[in-house]
Amino acid sequence: MIKVTEHTRNVLLEVAKKRKVYVEGNFLKILSAPDGDTEFEEYLKICKEKDSDKRRQRLEVTKQVQSQNKDLEQAAKENVRVNKQLEKALDEAEAAKNKAEELLITSKAHFRNTEKKEKEQNQKLTEALKEAEQAHEETHRLRLEAENAKSKAEQDLSLLQKKTQTELMGNIVRVALWVIMGVGLLTTALYVFVMVRGLDAKIIESTWSNLFGILLTNSFSIIGTIMGVKHATKDKE
Amino acid sequence: MIDTLMLIDDENLFHLVFEDACSLLDIAISVEALDSSDKAAEMFKKWFPDDPNHERPECVFVDLNILGSSFDGIEMIRKINHEYGNGCVIGIISSSQDEQEIEKAKLVGAQFWIIKSDDIEPRLEEFHKDYEGYKNRTAPFKVYR
Repeated sequence: MIKVTEHTRNVLLEVAKKRKVYVEGNFLKILSAPDGDTEFEEYLKICKEKDSDKRRQRLEVTKQVQSQNKDLEQAAKENVRVNKQLEKALDEAEAAKNKAEELLITSKAHFRNTEKKEKEQNQKLTEALKEAEQAHEETHRLRLEAENAKSKAEQDLSLLQKKTQTELMGNIVRVALWVIMGVGLLTTALYVFVMVRGLDAKIIESTWSNLFGILLTNSFSIIGTIMGVKHATKDKE
Repeated sequence: MIDTLMLIDDENLFHLVFEDACSLLDIAISVEALDSSDKAAEMFKKWFPDDPNHERPECVFVDLNILGSSFDGIEMIRKINHEYGNGCVIGIISSSQDEQEIEKAKLVGAQFWIIKSDDIEPRLEEFHKDYEGYKNRTAPFKVYR
């Protein structure tokens, strides 16, 4: 411990009284008052109290600042953490955006392809429809032609049948006429022969007359039948 | 009361807290605070063993993790005790309570471990009571929680 001299003691007390300036700091810890100097002891006590008060105040302030610093450091760490999270989220969002854009591009391309294919398909369908319509028309036309051909064939067939029938009837009539004429001529020749020879002509006379009557009747009957058949066939057509 | 005390800690605000707490508790007459273990190492290298006036401090408090320094508190203690000379009471003052680190500190010759917190005064007071034992090398290693 340091014991101050008389002069120093007096100066220190004087300065404290007049200017309110006191010794501070660790120096106080090594200062001691001369034995029995109560005034200087009191001065040193005041100095120590003032020094302690100041130190206590400073300690409190420093602790507060230290605590605030810790909080700030913690907050800064939290900020860094949040920023990292934000950056990560931002990166993820960016990646998702890029992916979405890629998907959009792919979808658009796909959509364009699909649209193109659809158009092509529609075009093909239209063409197929047109072809089907054409085929239908062609079929219809062919059917009409077939019907016409059939109808013509039927007409031809009918005509042929009529012709055949007419020919047949002509032949029948011709043959019938020839038979009638033959029988008539034969009977007439026989009657002439009988008359020329002067043979009995009674039987031949009545036979000739009956025969002529029959022949005429049959002839008209044949003609009438033919005319009737012809007329009936004409009505059906 | 400890004549000269040194604190090696990178946190400057804690220098003020420590100095004021030591002054208020009448633990030390003078406190010297350094913010780097490199600076401290340079000083101790000079003091041990060539310093005839024994300017080295009586007691040294070292932080465990000293930012901006080449080595940590445990290495600092090892250097002071085993490279520069074992001549002062030395220990760790740190907010860490890692048992492995505490064991390491013990192995290199630390005499105490004070847990640093907002309310440091009760631990320093307790340490002050045990100081004579550390000085005489009779007190065992202790952790002030």
